[in-house]
Amino acid sequence: MNATGAQRMRPADTAACARAVAESAADSRSLRIRGAGTKDYLGEVLPTDTVLDTTALAGVVAHVPGDLTVTVAAGTRFAELRAALANAGQFLPLDPPHAEAATIGGIVAANSTGFWRARYGGVRDQLIGTTAVLGDGTVAHSGGRVVKNVAGYDLNKLFVGSLGTLGVVVECTFKVLPRPAASAGAHARFARSAEAFAAADAVARTSARPAALAISGGPEGTWELLIQANGDAAPVARTLDLLAKSARAQGASAQPHNGVPGVLATLNEVSGRSDGLVIRAALPLAAQPAFATAAARLEGFAQLVADAASGIVRVVLRGDDAVVLDGADALLAAAHVCGGSARVEGRPDSLRARLRAWGDAKPAGLFLMRRLKEAFDPRGILEPGRSAAG
Amino acid sequence: MTVRAGLRGAPLISALTELLGKDKVLGTREDLLIYEYDGAVDTATPDAVVLPNDTADVAKLSRFCHQNDVPIVPRGAGTGLSGGAIPVEGGVVVSFARMTRILEIDVPNMRAVVQPGLVNLHLSTAVAPHGLHFVPDPSSQKACTLGGNVAENSGGPHTLAYGVTTNHVTGLEIVLSDGTVVRLGGKAVEYEGYDLIGAFVGSEGTLGIVTEITVRLTPLPEDKRTILAAFPTIDGASETVSAIIGAGIVPSAIELMDQLATEAVEAAVGAGYPLDAGGILLMEVDGLRDGLDDAAERIEAICRDNGATTLRRAATTLERDRLWAGRKGAFAAMGRLAPAYYVQDGVIPRTRLPEVLRTVREVAQRHGVRIANVFHAGDGNLHPLILFAKESELEGVKQAGLEILEACVAAGGSITGEHGVGMEKNCFMPLQFSADDLATMGRVKTAFDPAGLANPGKIFPTPSRCREFQFAARR
Repeated sequence: MNATGAQRMRPADTAACARAVAESAADSRSLRIRGAGTKDYLGEVLPTDTVLDTTALAGVVAHVPGDLTVTVAAGTRFAELRAALANAGQFLPLDPPHAEAATIGGIVAANSTGFWRARYGGVRDQLIGTTAVLGDGTVAHSGGRVVKNVAGYDLNKLFVGSLGTLGVVVECTFKVLPRPAASAGAHARFARSAEAFAAADAVARTSARPAALAISGGPEGTWELLIQANGDAAPVARTLDLLAKSARAQGASAQPHNGVPGVLATLNEVSGRSDGLVIRAALPLAAQPAFATAAARLEGFAQLVADAASGIVRVVLRGDDAVVLDGADALLAAAHVCGGSARVEGRPDSLRARLRAWGDAKPAGLFLMRRLKEAFDPRGILEPGRSAAG
Repeated sequence: MTVRAGLRGAPLISALTELLGKDKVLGTREDLLIYEYDGAVDTATPDAVVLPNDTADVAKLSRFCHQNDVPIVPRGAGTGLSGGAIPVEGGVVVSFARMTRILEIDVPNMRAVVQPGLVNLHLSTAVAPHGLHFVPDPSSQKACTLGGNVAENSGGPHTLAYGVTTNHVTGLEIVLSDGTVVRLGGKAVEYEGYDLIGAFVGSEGTLGIVTEITVRLTPLPEDKRTILAAFPTIDGASETVSAIIGAGIVPSAIELMDQLATEAVEAAVGAGYPLDAGGILLMEVDGLRDGLDDAAERIEAICRDNGATTLRRAATTLERDRLWAGRKGAFAAMGRLAPAYYVQDGVIPRTRLPEVLRTVREVAQRHGVRIANVFHAGDGNLHPLILFAKESELEGVKQAGLEILEACVAAGGSITGEHGVGMEKNCFMPLQFSADDLATMGRVKTAFDPAGLANPGKIFPTPSRCREFQFAARR
């Protein structure tokens, strides 16, 4: 699927990247924008003439710990940035899937968040500055290196989740935070998904702000709620108490669990690792229990993973193509009916032609998205057709 | 000022009256005068003012204006500090004084759906019984509206830890300048396709008009600790800010006030701030009750190490409210010092605070003006209040403001942190952005508003007004 036979370009700096894109535009050669290649499964991936490899655009550009900001070249691996920040006692509060290999540019372009969204928000909430090369080779800066900034339009938001279709992100500035003094995890098992969601909801409704509230379940009928709390020791301990109390109210008992970060990392990668079909829905919070119940009743239901504090639910389906397709249709429709949206995040190759990554639904404001796409990429060379917007 | 050639004067008023009804259109000279100013210093009289009852009215009006080449300028409470609601190129001002309802408080989903004319504080008051609040809390929150907050991407003291307006909006209904109604997002945290909500929030009415807003509601903190620390010098106070952050503590708010600001606040509000301090920090930690005292003690210890002469922790809600009343009433209190003020809104990396505050003092001396400082120190968001008495001083005062913004940009910062660019700083955008950067923003503008009728003359430098400002491109 990696555009076999395509040419490869690996620009070493912003200027070279701009030249490469401008030349491609002049020749109407389409580009796949690729960092570490950890998210080739996302979106409607079509063959392109050229692969633009961003991994030479690497390195931490600026980090002033006292300012709680960091500027980093987009091809830098997340793990490398994490290590650099850790040396200063800080961290970028994102827990993306494929964290060891993934690059910053890929994380931004794919809006790659994990369970920490519960406390810290998503990529859109951390990204405060972007340099991008538009589809005609224009280098555009947006935002800046300060944590608060309303000068001009916030183009950062447009690049997050655009899957490279609006521009090649070459440099990013993020807000960062001091590493928490304490971090602890716990889990509880429930017989019914509704009980797990009710227990999670009770914690989400306090000011505890846990880093993660994850729910995982499968056809065997056990639903696990995992919590991770970050902060000072006293509020972290109290947050686990709150979970224990809310679990008890649902007839379960919570236990401390040192392995929560590892479990979360695995759950986070359900889309990339799964051999089945994965539907990823973003739902209003209170719609999650009914959605989970409906998912668990589907033939072919294999696993459900929810970021219960954010309403992000992934469902894995396995089985015959016909069964899986029916289930996918039902889940895509259910997400829309309850006021959310959904997409296909992983598909067996056999279903690629029969099920589009974005389902049949058109996002609201699609005509505006198409105008933006045309304005930012007039020749339509950047990741043609990959995102829901074009 | 550029004024469009489209429909104006009596023919405009009568056409609007016919379109929308007499009770929704203001057109007499006396009525229009009230809408020629906002919270900033620039003025321009609208050709007409329309008071819509609903989205359909706004759509109808927009279609009409599109057909007749008339600019549309939305207005909430008019508390904006960059001239965002001023019809600098003429046209119709749309006042949201009649679209002030909370349409839905959705407790299970922790969302509220509101009309743009709703006052910020009224939302938090309405949802407080459910243990929830709307986080962005601009100092003008008793008056400013949610529509204005969306347009300006407003902040406030507590956004240090919890984010600004853009971090708390999940859905919008907007009316484009050709009258098209578009509903974006909803109650989920995100939707497929480009984040148009993210692009729209903070666009200052230049991409369209917001007619309905879905916001995230956040659980109220179980408890808070509010600390006042007084320092002999403003440098001592600003260095303490970096020391607190450097110690790994991110309070929910860190506000700084200099002696001149304190003097005004004490005269107006009587918040109990010490008058002999060169700099005062007002800080808050909140969340679960557990560990708050500990966090407060660590902050107090850092303040002492940095030379704090007075340390006070609010013991009661009443005392906390009084400390905050001083900060939130600070702009209004400037009337005690001078008949008028011009407030700037530059942002700097917070480690550069002491140095840039020194520059602000030099600018004051150079121009022979008094400047009071009261600002969001944790964010590095300065609010120098340049005091003046007479209209004739305004040009010099604006020049002093520009020099402060130049210092902010030179320190790696921004010309505006939360007040917006508007018509006040549009000529200064080239300080911070290259021609290509601005042209890229222009592509977004054209995608939403091809006719250029949505709040024209804002954000982007305009040839007619900006000729005198020729900055070397920063990048």
